[in-house]
Amino acid sequence: MNNEGLLEKFKNLDFIKMDRRTFIKAVGALGASLFLQTYKSDIAKAFNGLPETKVLWLHGVMDSGCSISMLDGENPDILEFLQLFNLNLLYHEVLMMQQGIFVDGQPANTSDLNSEVLLEEILENERGYVLIAEGAIANGPHGSGKYMVLGGKIYRDVFERAARNASVIVAIGQCATNSGVNAAESEIDDLMDHRGVAFTLEDSSKGIVDLLGIDTPVVNINGCPAHPDWVFLTIGAIALGKIRVPDDLPEVLDRWYRPKVFYPPDHTVHDNCPRRGFYDRGEFETTVGGPKCLWKLGCKGPYSHADCALRHWNGHVNFCPQAGSPCIGCVQPGFPDSTRPFYVEIEDAGIVNTNLDTIAGVAIAGGLIAAGAHALRRTVLRKPEEKEGTTEESALERTGGEK
Amino acid sequence: MVEVTVDPLSRIEGHYRINTEVSEDGVITDAQSNGLVFRGFERSLLHHDPRDAALFTMRICGVCPVCHSITAANALDDLFGVADQVPKNALVMRNVHQAMNFIASHAAHIYVLWGPDLANPAYRDILTQYGDVGNAVWGELSGRFMPLVNLERGTRYPAGSSYVAALREFRRLHEGIALIAGKMPHPVLQHVGGVVYSPTVADIQKLISYVSQTARFVENFTLGVPPETWIENTYRASSPESAVNFVIERLQELLDNSLNNNDFSHASGWGDVPLFAAFGSELVGETLLGLPVSLKLDRSGGYKDPNTIGFLSYGVFFKPENGDGYDPTSPAEDKVIPSGYMNGNLQLEKFDHRKISENITHAFYIDEEADRPPWNGVTNPEDNPDEIDYTRGSESRYSWVKAPNYSGIPCEVGPLARLLVMGEPLVTGLAKTFQENGYSPANNYTRMLARMQEILVVIPELLKWLSQDLEAGGKVAVHTELSMARDSEGMGLWEAPRGALGHWVATDSDSMTTLYQAVVPSTWNLAPRNGQGIPGPAEQALIGTKISAAENALGVDYANPLGILHTARSYDPCLACAIHTIDKTGKNPDRIIRVV
Repeated sequence: MNNEGLLEKFKNLDFIKMDRRTFIKAVGALGASLFLQTYKSDIAKAFNGLPETKVLWLHGVMDSGCSISMLDGENPDILEFLQLFNLNLLYHEVLMMQQGIFVDGQPANTSDLNSEVLLEEILENERGYVLIAEGAIANGPHGSGKYMVLGGKIYRDVFERAARNASVIVAIGQCATNSGVNAAESEIDDLMDHRGVAFTLEDSSKGIVDLLGIDTPVVNINGCPAHPDWVFLTIGAIALGKIRVPDDLPEVLDRWYRPKVFYPPDHTVHDNCPRRGFYDRGEFETTVGGPKCLWKLGCKGPYSHADCALRHWNGHVNFCPQAGSPCIGCVQPGFPDSTRPFYVEIEDAGIVNTNLDTIAGVAIAGGLIAAGAHALRRTVLRKPEEKEGTTEESALERTGGEK
Repeated sequence: MVEVTVDPLSRIEGHYRINTEVSEDGVITDAQSNGLVFRGFERSLLHHDPRDAALFTMRICGVCPVCHSITAANALDDLFGVADQVPKNALVMRNVHQAMNFIASHAAHIYVLWGPDLANPAYRDILTQYGDVGNAVWGELSGRFMPLVNLERGTRYPAGSSYVAALREFRRLHEGIALIAGKMPHPVLQHVGGVVYSPTVADIQKLISYVSQTARFVENFTLGVPPETWIENTYRASSPESAVNFVIERLQELLDNSLNNNDFSHASGWGDVPLFAAFGSELVGETLLGLPVSLKLDRSGGYKDPNTIGFLSYGVFFKPENGDGYDPTSPAEDKVIPSGYMNGNLQLEKFDHRKISENITHAFYIDEEADRPPWNGVTNPEDNPDEIDYTRGSESRYSWVKAPNYSGIPCEVGPLARLLVMGEPLVTGLAKTFQENGYSPANNYTRMLARMQEILVVIPELLKWLSQDLEAGGKVAVHTELSMARDSEGMGLWEAPRGALGHWVATDSDSMTTLYQAVVPSTWNLAPRNGQGIPGPAEQALIGTKISAAENALGVDYANPLGILHTARSYDPCLACAIHTIDKTGKNPDRIIRVV
């Protein structure tokens, strides 16, 4: 259905009375921009009775890319986002006037200028806020957490206090959701021990909330970086009561705690890729710079559950495969290990034990010819005995694919 | 002696602490620059396909992923032996990609990260003592630069007009980057042998439109005059003196119009640069223009001893007129902003990458050799939690940042260093003017003006590349096979918005990565002491700086240490880069790698 059709369908609904399922559908279908245009006056009305939602935004081990991505949000941009959803951003290291100030080791000045005083006041007095967690949480070396110290305090301890008193933790970006590049395999990853909030890579027993015994609900907005729409609209829906925490979460989130509306379990980046026609005709690029399908250059689009190909990035102008780069699966829980090497065809790389069911599942939306082509290549190129011990289940685990 | 510590220093990228000792008359007498996170990064590239580096290493930094991906691609061109064949169109695409990131990153630093300190209440208390002029200037500073999250006795003020407008341009330029690079941050354009996307005619026109719109922002907010006028009379001035004179005359003209009505608004021509240029400096504002008050930023963040500091540029932006291919050692004549080393007395030398070494005497690493060149480094992180202590003073180990040196000298990198090395007339003229009048040529004022000026240097080059050099549908990559990287080494030299950036890579007989290391700008600028006990650039700039606003104009206020805030933030710190560091690989002693 085109935008006009969707608008027609949704615009007669009373926004305030809209149930959550319809709300989610509407946001998902219309996109943030159209949704807000359509319901602007309704949203404004809603605010008369809408209580302020407080937001505490903490930065752990990360590269600030998700904060930058949020500054890149459009329709709504970050200012509209805060305003529209009546959010009170209490603390954000990049956007605030304050900094930590100590004189002879003692906190000096007030929360007007001293972020450590401000943070202490928030942690002491505030309850029921949304905690936006950006970045991984350092647990090393040897369980000490001292690989990240801030304001003289171990960051893990600050995170713990903030997380216990939050109504919900929204983990934004791959460092926070799954530790991402911080947990990539190496000789010292155990020593480093940087943890995601609820998962470290695909391991839910290694999330920091599990380690610390925190039971605050977690919503994961995956991606490296996270898309601003994914973050703003999820938090907006929570602020408006359209997603009730925790009651609605089991239905709204997938098993990696990602909102299904943005990370659809039943389709992938590949399904809506503008290069899809080339794939269906079996026309593939073998060197960079051309217009055809990027499968042979290592595209992980068929295994990546995100709406990038529909939503697009930065003012909705583009996304990775459209710009000539294979998708590297940055929303998948095992990223980056589960999707490396980035430029090697997935079957040759041996990173996924691609089986016929998976391929068929991927290809059904687009055409069975492709499935046939894959099946043929698979038979010709792969020697199953080389992949001994790799089960379908583990393959799905590694890519985060949904059955 | 009072100990004043800023921890964390917010409005930067990453997590950073500065510890100082301050005398009773309010002068900083000692300083330590502490990187607070151990991240580990390039080690996860080892034993992997080296081609992943361009997309992998950009995740070191979400603010400047563009320069990491280009630097990595440069290193890979060298590793695969194709640097001399990379198509001209790909080199122009790298220029365009990097230039948009330069402008966006500088705008973010000037307006969102550094600028808000101009709305610090200490300046209200100082300026409002100076009657209507002071009141008007304070109104402009707070009205333009207030950050999004602020508090004053329970009240929150709206974000500043320039702050909000700059965010819009930041977004616009990132949209332009996404148009050719998929998304931003973490764009996907760069690849060994070139880039992955060949722009269409429509893309090129759209890019010109994005940049032209940003140029209008520069006219209306930043300069108050058309950028073309400014560029003609500064960047393209016939001499450093005439560039400085143009600015002083322009300021004089604005003042003549405003001193009667106390109108210092954007509408009356007071762009953010003129406002800062006049009221930020004691020498320019008070001495030359006769203003009653200034923020005296030229008195802070300077170097006391020209013999312990240098200015370094690796060079950036390929010259399209050189056609296909380039020289990986980055000789000065190959780049639009050239490579070069300038000593503390402003004497220029040719750049030689073999003079770079790194020292870990004061960093949390373990190695029998304290000094190593980056292509032979080792980095064993301290793993005893009790040893990770930031409070033991200047003699101790106190940071995760190493201390890089050029011929044994700590170096400032970034816009000021680049434009000095380039001989850009306005920045060169200002530096000389300060030097001749007994100021440090590098100080918080010149450091910030150089960043503003670099936006003006980049815009006309960017428009030229787009309108004259970039070919729609042109060839954008040489074909490469993984086997071309067998038993090889590569070096990528480039400039991030914050300064000199180098990547080094090596591979084994299977073409898999055995060494990867990045030496980044904030490692240079925020270094701890080196093996000889010479403080890093930011530390040197802090020592001797007054702790409170405008040279302690209201007396010594340890609890509002603007001297530290301005100075440390003036380097545009990026800690995720500086401490992405490491490597230790005891399991494979023949493949020891390190990383900065």
